[in-house]
Amino acid sequence: MDLFAPFVAPAAAQQLVRLHVRQFAMSADPLSLRVGETLRLRIVTRVDENLLELDNVTLPDLSGFESLGDERQCTTAYRGSQCVETMTLTPTLPGDRTIAGATLEAIDARTGRAVQFSSNTVTVHVEGEPVPNYFLQALFDGLIRPFLVLLLVAVVGYAALWGWRRRPKPVAPPPPVAAAPPPPPAPVVPPLRSLVDALAAEPTRANALAVRGELRRSIGAREEETLADLRARKATRGDADLDAALRATEIAAFADDSRLQGAIADAIPPLRRLAGPPAEAVL
Amino acid sequence: MNGVVTPPRVLLDALADTVVGQEAVLESLVQALIAGGHIVLEGPPGLAKTLACRALATAVGGSFKRVQFTPDLLPSDIVGTRIFDQRSGEFTTVLGPVFANVLLADEINRAPAKVQSALLEAMQERQVTIGPQTFPLPEPFVVTATMNPLDSEGTYALPLAQMDRFLVKVLVDYPKPDEEERILQRFGGAQPALPENVVSVADVLAWRDQAHAVHLEPRLAKYAVALVAATRAPHDYVERGASPRATLAIAALARARALLDGRDFALPDDVRAAAPDALRHRLAFNYRLLTDHVDPERIVTDLIASVPTP
Repeated sequence: MDLFAPFVAPAAAQQLVRLHVRQFAMSADPLSLRVGETLRLRIVTRVDENLLELDNVTLPDLSGFESLGDERQCTTAYRGSQCVETMTLTPTLPGDRTIAGATLEAIDARTGRAVQFSSNTVTVHVEGEPVPNYFLQALFDGLIRPFLVLLLVAVVGYAALWGWRRRPKPVAPPPPVAAAPPPPPAPVVPPLRSLVDALAAEPTRANALAVRGELRRSIGAREEETLADLRARKATRGDADLDAALRATEIAAFADDSRLQGAIADAIPPLRRLAGPPAEAVL
Repeated sequence: MNGVVTPPRVLLDALADTVVGQEAVLESLVQALIAGGHIVLEGPPGLAKTLACRALATAVGGSFKRVQFTPDLLPSDIVGTRIFDQRSGEFTTVLGPVFANVLLADEINRAPAKVQSALLEAMQERQVTIGPQTFPLPEPFVVTATMNPLDSEGTYALPLAQMDRFLVKVLVDYPKPDEEERILQRFGGAQPALPENVVSVADVLAWRDQAHAVHLEPRLAKYAVALVAATRAPHDYVERGASPRATLAIAALARARALLDGRDFALPDDVRAAAPDALRHRLAFNYRLLTDHVDPERIVTDLIASVPTP
């Protein structure tokens, strides 16, 4: 890449900054677009020096594009700086548009000489859109559009009139029917209690998983949250039984078969304290 | 061996006595040691990366070698070479520093590709061929490599295929202010004392057997697969996802974490906690990540968070 083309006279060089230029590149995104759409043109300069701003960058000729905005930013890293100039452009003409390289004038720290660094060029493919027919446009705006508006108003008015004429006649309300007596209320068993009952009666992994799922649902656990996440965000709000039950059902869900019964036995006491006594005992 | 195996928590506590803070880094080191994998530590200079590796070797009681990787390093500087003995008229083999239980490859990305390849081949095969002879490496054999992400000038980035050989990549961050105060109080300019030999090489080998026996529920195995599969889904910034080696790594690290916690079964937390270390160096990001100034660690975190836990 021809980065180091010497050009500047020694007198002019005295006002230039001494730079160790690592990268001076230009890119566009997207490289293919239509007239009226926008693209971002980025000029990235990486130097070994710490800079707050970078002057002496000459932008390329952007004829055929309309500039919608320009932003410059220099960030300083552990060693050196990166300055990025981002321009938002919109092409005004179709065709392949080649944007000439930007230039940076500085004293090359390698040689001590004033040089002009040139970036790469960028070619953007711009697809055109049909050229507007101004006569048809004027005709549409002057005559056809008012006519269409009037026609729309007439159609809406006619539809409203037609609907009003065909409106249904008011019907007398049916005589009141004696309401059937409500069924006797079923005993309300909270889901957790019934699941704990099932786990106590049949200590299987499937029942342990069901209890674990209900516990997680009851504290609003998101599906991507693990037990550590729940504890970290204090989802149990300091409830020791809830915490113990979560821990015990977690073990029951994932321990090997030899530990399953022990884990369920550990889980039942805190679960009972949370869910209440067995449903039969209440009835 | 008298049959009594020291629990791995003892090793972790000994390391924590030497290295202030960096608990997550030390845990990852011990987990990788248990899982039988190699470790790459990435962080700015001065964050006790080398000290942590040295402390690990001392605490385990195995042999420790350190190689400072430089651009002029040769493969024979790592694996060894054959030297002609004029008195006997025969070639003798001089084994390189790779023949150690813990090898610290300091700033591994400063050596050219052929040196990296020589080391990574030894890491994979766990043996070295010098001339006509093949020498097995000692067991356990753990490579702890360090990389500095800031000063990238004059470095040779490790290709993705080679990074894949490392079981984990651990990020080492700056200590918190209170930790830094403790560092100042404890060391104050003096050389930090290395831990004593608290466990044996035989203990490490026993931990590996125990870790293999840690129960990993099939739903957890599916979770590990789903985590890796999430990295292969089309993504704005990820060019290529992780390999099945990542799935194996997550499972091995989850088992090691469970063992370190004194359990013989793994939990979803073990799998999820293992994922970042096992995945971050196995993803290939595209150029947009750089141009949009996106932190790759955030991508890894988001990908992991997108997978429902079992």
